[in-house]
Amino acid sequence: MGIKIEDLTVTFKNKVTAINHADLDIPKGIFGLLGENGAGKTTLMRVLTTVLSPTSGTVTLDGILYNEGNYEKIQRKIGYLPQEIDLYPSLTLQECLEYMGNLSGISKQTYKERIQYYLEMTSLSEHRRKKMKQLSGGMKRRVGLVGALLNEPEFLIVDEPTTGLDPEERIRIRNLLVDFSKGRTVLLSTHVVEDLAATCNQLAVMKKGKFLYSGNMRELLEQAKGHIWICKAKDEIMARKLEKEYHVSSKQYVGNELQIKLISEVPPQIECSSCEATLEDAYIYISNKES
Amino acid sequence: MHEIKISLPFQKQAYAVLFVLILSLVRGITYSYEIGIALEAPMAILAASFCADTYTQEITSKRSEIQRLYPMKKRIYSIYKRIVIQEIFLLAVAVAGYGLFYIFQNPRIVGIGENSSENEICQFLVYFAAIAVTLVVWGLLSNLLSCLFRNMWMGIGGCLMLCLITNSSIGVRYFGAWNLFSYTFRSIENSSNYSWICGKIVCICIGIMTVAALPKIMEKRG
Repeated sequence: MGIKIEDLTVTFKNKVTAINHADLDIPKGIFGLLGENGAGKTTLMRVLTTVLSPTSGTVTLDGILYNEGNYEKIQRKIGYLPQEIDLYPSLTLQECLEYMGNLSGISKQTYKERIQYYLEMTSLSEHRRKKMKQLSGGMKRRVGLVGALLNEPEFLIVDEPTTGLDPEERIRIRNLLVDFSKGRTVLLSTHVVEDLAATCNQLAVMKKGKFLYSGNMRELLEQAKGHIWICKAKDEIMARKLEKEYHVSSKQYVGNELQIKLISEVPPQIECSSCEATLEDAYIYISNKES
Repeated sequence: MHEIKISLPFQKQAYAVLFVLILSLVRGITYSYEIGIALEAPMAILAASFCADTYTQEITSKRSEIQRLYPMKKRIYSIYKRIVIQEIFLLAVAVAGYGLFYIFQNPRIVGIGENSSENEICQFLVYFAAIAVTLVVWGLLSNLLSCLFRNMWMGIGGCLMLCLITNSSIGVRYFGAWNLFSYTFRSIENSSNYSWICGKIVCICIGIMTVAALPKIMEKRG
């Protein structure tokens, strides 16, 4: 089951096409959505959360077709954590979640039990009496995650959950997403490649409203295999020349020499050696393959 | 009642109280029957600005994107709760404002002996009923316009425009007793003339229409 997207197109009133005839299958577990800014990730999520209606194409969730008549049924199955959200600053953490639980239409006893359970899971129990405005960015994100889980959604959509967080908090959020993905579909949208490498097996790469890749992470790495090269530039002029000719995924000073990682379909015309592809390299390779 | 904390943060309470306090200090009146006249239009503007963010705070904070997933009935119920809370608070401020005018302006009381206090109570009760209707309609209207345009400034601006039109000599000439500020423009000399109630009936009708339209607008506009 999961989510099935077929020939989806979203065109705005100003004629900008954010999603262009896209097809995608999102199975159970964590599914990563990777893409540059403006690739269409947020538009896709707005369609999946029923905020936007597709211009054409179909989307189904567990076999239920996305249309106005089914929106209420679909909405009950979805939990959503938007990228930037300011949760009721004047309420305490506990009050905020109780209010969200009440709005989501579940019984008082049920949401109180779930709040207690999830606060313990997210290590937020001791902060329950703190006002939302007193919490750190990472804590707020965790509260948002708990809020999204209160109605026990089958499909959890998380948009850039780790943006602006320190490494420790990012790891915590990632681990929580893995815990919460048990028995449900989690769509994790991000442009932080490390987050996907640490959490997902399945992912899709988006660019300009189209899916450049969709499938297993290992296969994506396989595709990039043999196209990642390491070479050494003797001076800045050479480094700049390489940057002009190839996609450079990293550069680093090693002693007096500049070590450069290049992405190229064919071996570069300089002395270099092939190296293992990371997810970041594979993403850059796939993103720039056509160009 | 989490809605109390959401819809009545300290800064909102403070500006509403300060507004009435300053108004009662600077707006000069001679007779006690002028208190209602001095308060009605400013209180309408206060209600419009006070209630404009009732729902739009959900939009600016992006919480509306989550709220869309909740049942509409629950969402609407919560918004109405917020409006009721704000209106009760504004009514309390309006009553306090009436008292403050007595304290700071020391107005002359019309009537002699025992009759004067009776008159004053009656005058206050009429003011209370009129200001309650005024506050409710301007608060609801401002929230509705804000939801429609997804921007609280549209709610405040729209209400301010309507206020400028109706609370003017043009408003008096064109709308007469049906003016939204009919209480302000009532005949003071003839206290038994209650034709100004027509204006308040118009207010109640507008209020009912805004209550009915809000769920539809929220459904369409999110």
